[in-house]
Amino acid sequence: MTVAAVHGGGIADHIHPEPQSFIRRYIFSIDHKIIGIQYIITGFVFLVLSGMLAELIRVQLMHANGGLVSNDTYNEIYSVHGSAMVWLVIIPLVTGGFGNFVMPLQIGARDVAFPWLNMLSFWMFPVAGLMLFSSFLIGAPVAGWTEYPPMSLQAGPGTSMWCAAIFLIGVSSTLTGINFLVTILKMRAPGMTFTRMPLFVWAQLATAPLSMVATTALAAALAALFIERQFGVPFYDPTKGGSPILWQHMFWFYSHPAVYIMILPAFGIISEVLPTFSRKPIFGYKMIAFSSVAIALAGFMVWAHHMFTSGLAPFLQLPFMILTFVIGVPTGIKIFSWMATLWGGKIHFTSSMLFAIGFLALFTFGGITGILLAAVPFDFHVHGTYFVVAHFHYVLVGGSLMGIFAGTYYWFPKMTGRLMNEFWGRLHFWLFFIGFNGTFLPMHWLGILGMPRRVPVYDPQFQGWNQFESIMSFVMTLGILIFFANLLVSIRNGKKGGANPWNARTLEWQIPSPPHYYNFKNIPAVYALPYDFSEPLPYTGLENELTDSPAPATAGAH
Amino acid sequence: MVEQRDPAVKLDRGFWIVTAVLAVLSICGIIFWYAVPLQHWLPESAQPADQVDALFAFMAATSTALFVFVCGYILYFSIAFRARSTDAPDAIGVQIHDNHKLEFWWALIPALFVILLSVLSVKIWWGIQIAQPNNGMVLEAIGHQWFYTFRYPNVKGEVPDEMHLALGVPVTLHVTSSDVIHSFWVPTMRLKADMVPGLINTIRFTPSAVGTYKIICTEFCGTQHGEMNKQTVVIQSKADFDKWYQATQAAHANMSDALATVSTGAINLAGGDAAAGQQLFSQKCSACHAVGPFSQRIVGPGLKGVLDDPAHPNLVDGDKATPADVAKILQNGFKGDLGVMPNQAQNGLSDKDIANLVAYLASLK
Ligand code: HEC
Ligand SMILES: [Cu+2]
Ligand SMILES: [Cu+2]
Repeated sequence: MTVAAVHGGGIADHIHPEPQSFIRRYIFSIDHKIIGIQYIITGFVFLVLSGMLAELIRVQLMHANGGLVSNDTYNEIYSVHGSAMVWLVIIPLVTGGFGNFVMPLQIGARDVAFPWLNMLSFWMFPVAGLMLFSSFLIGAPVAGWTEYPPMSLQAGPGTSMWCAAIFLIGVSSTLTGINFLVTILKMRAPGMTFTRMPLFVWAQLATAPLSMVATTALAAALAALFIERQFGVPFYDPTKGGSPILWQHMFWFYSHPAVYIMILPAFGIISEVLPTFSRKPIFGYKMIAFSSVAIALAGFMVWAHHMFTSGLAPFLQLPFMILTFVIGVPTGIKIFSWMATLWGGKIHFTSSMLFAIGFLALFTFGGITGILLAAVPFDFHVHGTYFVVAHFHYVLVGGSLMGIFAGTYYWFPKMTGRLMNEFWGRLHFWLFFIGFNGTFLPMHWLGILGMPRRVPVYDPQFQGWNQFESIMSFVMTLGILIFFANLLVSIRNGKKGGANPWNARTLEWQIPSPPHYYNFKNIPAVYALPYDFSEPLPYTGLENELTDSPAPATAGAH
Repeated sequence: MVEQRDPAVKLDRGFWIVTAVLAVLSICGIIFWYAVPLQHWLPESAQPADQVDALFAFMAATSTALFVFVCGYILYFSIAFRARSTDAPDAIGVQIHDNHKLEFWWALIPALFVILLSVLSVKIWWGIQIAQPNNGMVLEAIGHQWFYTFRYPNVKGEVPDEMHLALGVPVTLHVTSSDVIHSFWVPTMRLKADMVPGLINTIRFTPSAVGTYKIICTEFCGTQHGEMNKQTVVIQSKADFDKWYQATQAAHANMSDALATVSTGAINLAGGDAAAGQQLFSQKCSACHAVGPFSQRIVGPGLKGVLDDPAHPNLVDGDKATPADVAKILQNGFKGDLGVMPNQAQNGLSDKDIANLVAYLASLK
């Protein structure tokens, strides 16, 4: 395995020649930038596919007694929708996608620590995705993305396929975690101490150990489910001495931290976009950085807040409740710091900035309903209802996906050298923002008033709001279609953006767009945080980046 | 790096005006949640529901206030500090980095909120989990695909359809399941417990308002999970309840009280009563089976003529369709391409029930 040269305390210039064949350049590439873009394209393809499933759900729910598809088909649709959105869209986009493209550039490295491993991680992803979606051919899973046994033990063969697919994507995510952790710890440019790292890098640093540790619990749980389904070894079947609750513990031991795998990198994106377009240093850099780490650590100790009604010993409910409340503190600090970053700024409302500001509002809302859900007595009422559906869509769509959109508008010029169209970008924002709230806000009261989740038919008294939600979901989808059209057109026809269209100060903006294969002609030295707009750039060694001076010499293959 | 001192933060009049407006809005929000409590939208029918509603009012009110301030300031800052066309293209904002005093104080806001919320939640949790009376009527609710049954003290067998409760008489309700995970939720009681096979979960409450209230399943439990919202809790006055209780006791006098288990050995089918079988079928089988041709599936196949269908000489287990083989499927259950047929214990059948059902199925031609 090629370890992009790590010597001594820093980085030696040890550059492999750029591959010339199409296949090694764009298909089986080991360049973190290409791999990042591959992740983003693949993630967006799955976003379209599972978005289509979401619209099928909304069409079915236009009528209280369903009517579009059968109950069983409906169950397959929402199960694959949820699984795909979590494991094939959000997680790969925020870690493998933006993490890969941006993080090495921001720390002044030529690649990640293990480029071959990186390529391997990527290729597991489309394979896992194809497996998950092909489970429709053999009877897709029906028990939701959580696949609680005994339901998941009884369902058709597609559930075993689901286990295998999620296991594979889990391995990919674990490997990416290891790769990023080593990269950030060992390959930062000279002078880039921990307290000079851009906040997106901090976010990836907090996320990587989560991917490594939590995902292993998921892998074990999945392996046991697969073995029980295929070979009858009773881990979970209570009639044979297994425990269905065991699955819930293992699953949530992963899936709560997974929430932070999905949101921390989005925090990182926001923390880059806000200062750039406010032309102001990020407020409370250290607080934002350390609160990411605090959230990541505490995130391991709250998983059973998903299990208050399932038979957790009553006294165990208390620590899980209170620890979950406690996570509200670092999260609150972050939100206040972002708000304060806006204060006194010179705010430029680019599409990217609109999504970042929208993120602040929606994520705050989803965070607050999360606190409500953690209160055991209230959770007894709303657990398993549309209130929960509303809550996690605010966090994952209003939070993570809005972050992904902000990041796409922000870094697209770095990836392609061209800008996305701002008019269509703003239209995308407004349609998406209004459509999103219209779709998910009413779900809060539907849940409180008695609508359970995962139902293809429901009490007719809720039909009016459901129709409203479905119509608003079309508005949201229209916004996303505009986004994709804008993206595709801008790749060829977008306005040229140059190296640094936003006047941003992190390292990736100081080199050409798109960057050269070797990223930097010389590895720069860093002597301060990047966010001081009144100061000269805190880097040396970048003088030749934007000139015609020759590329650095390459080492031979070995 | 040049040592840089943060410029002093000056908050202008606009800021304080906006703050005042947001404070007024927040107070309106708080008043709203206390003036129009949850009870206004969804009645309460059991005793801890009022405590849950009190907690909800507190949380909704405080978080509304918090949310109003966050969004209000974001909106205000966005407008007040927007870049204007008159600005120089390279104009920058106020270069402040942090303000430890401010950060300390505002870390206190969420911290205070968390402490208050913890105290209140623990108090109400105590009221729900610990302080409920322990001496009430002990009942059992059992989840099945896709219906609930109930067991009462000194009533033999299981009671289908409605769960009757007496006003003011404390209840200790144990819930479990005979097949997959279900959940027992009565929204008007604000209480819920998952019904997990092999596990008994308990909720305790005191019915507080006469009426009929929905029971809803909130854990995905298979094809007809969405239809598992038709049964009700019927809260009656003590006198009415006693009347119902005695009648039920009498009606169930001849039932077996043993929990259904899977019998060992072949089941004696002699003396099966098709009429009794028909009644059982409508209670326990019709959720999954139609009385129609094999191809008319609900979950399992249609059962009209199972024993006498030239197009399907064999049952799903591959054996020839005989009464003994039907009984075997009812006894042991069967998992095949169509799905899972529950076994005798899961369907809650005695040997006699099976004999009756087989007699009924044989009578369908
Ligand atoms: C949870 C749904 C469910 C319930 C409740 C249920 N069954 Fe079934 N049953 C099935 C399924 C599914 C099959 C087919 C299994 C397979 O082959 O995959 C089946 C198969 C059968 C068969 C075999 C049919 C054939 O043509 O081979 C009989 C007989 C039968 N059930 C009788 C009953 C009776 C009597 C009851 C009521 C006590 C009952 N079932 C309750 C789901 C159910
Ligand atoms: Cu969680
Ligand atoms: Cu259910």
